[in-house]
Amino acid sequence: MDKKDSLKISIPKKAEYVSIARLTASSVGSKMGFNIEEIDDIKVAIAEACINLIQTSPKENNDNYEIEFNIYKDKLIIIVKDKKGTFTNEEIQKDDLKNQESKLGLFIIDALMDDVEFINYKDIGREIRMTKRIEVVRDGDAV
Amino acid sequence: MALKLEKKYNKDKNAWIIKPIGEVDIYTSPNFKKELTDIIKENETDVIIDCSQLEYIDSTGLGVLISGLKKIKEKDKNIIIEHIKPNIKKLLDITGLNKVFIVKE
Repeated sequence: MDKKDSLKISIPKKAEYVSIARLTASSVGSKMGFNIEEIDDIKVAIAEACINLIQTSPKENNDNYEIEFNIYKDKLIIIVKDKKGTFTNEEIQKDDLKNQESKLGLFIIDALMDDVEFINYKDIGREIRMTKRIEVVRDGDAV
Repeated sequence: MALKLEKKYNKDKNAWIIKPIGEVDIYTSPNFKKELTDIIKENETDVIIDCSQLEYIDSTGLGVLISGLKKIKEKDKNIIIEHIKPNIKKLLDITGLNKVFIVKE
């Protein structure tokens, strides 16, 4: 698998901190050698993952959520993880505006990243796992 | 980056022009929604969104535009999106909203 490094940040479940996730993703992506358009894709996708998690989180769940950046030679795997809550189809099928936005967000993540998984863990939360591959790996470009 | 909103009435076009400067994201979109909703509620004109200085928009911002479009269509008016940057055009293309809004580059 050739995993090189891993970074983890813990973020309050508040709208004003989503930009921190975007900035961190941008920095990691740039360091790995992604091009500007790919970095933009990663920033947009990670923000949508955070938004989805914040908007579908139960109100009583104020715990921070975690973002893990797993750096490989040829790809970046980002895991946005919440210790509580589940992703349900019911949430996505409701036809109110919030869920329209949620659908848009999921479309966006799916289109911009190479692989996307929504995983529910029994009793221990949920995660969105997104992979972006580096198209051309040049010597010295990846971290 | 925060969001600054400029708004003015253009007599020639008989339209209100809203110019978001910065980022419309989950944090700033409630303010954007309020401004857009107020303009639609108080006027009987088209609304032009001048995106020449819009650097970023997320799904919550796109949601504000969709909700604005629904409201303005009830008055038989329209939202026109102008001068969008390539990164934002890409999002409109991905989500199919390029077919829902009048988009002028």
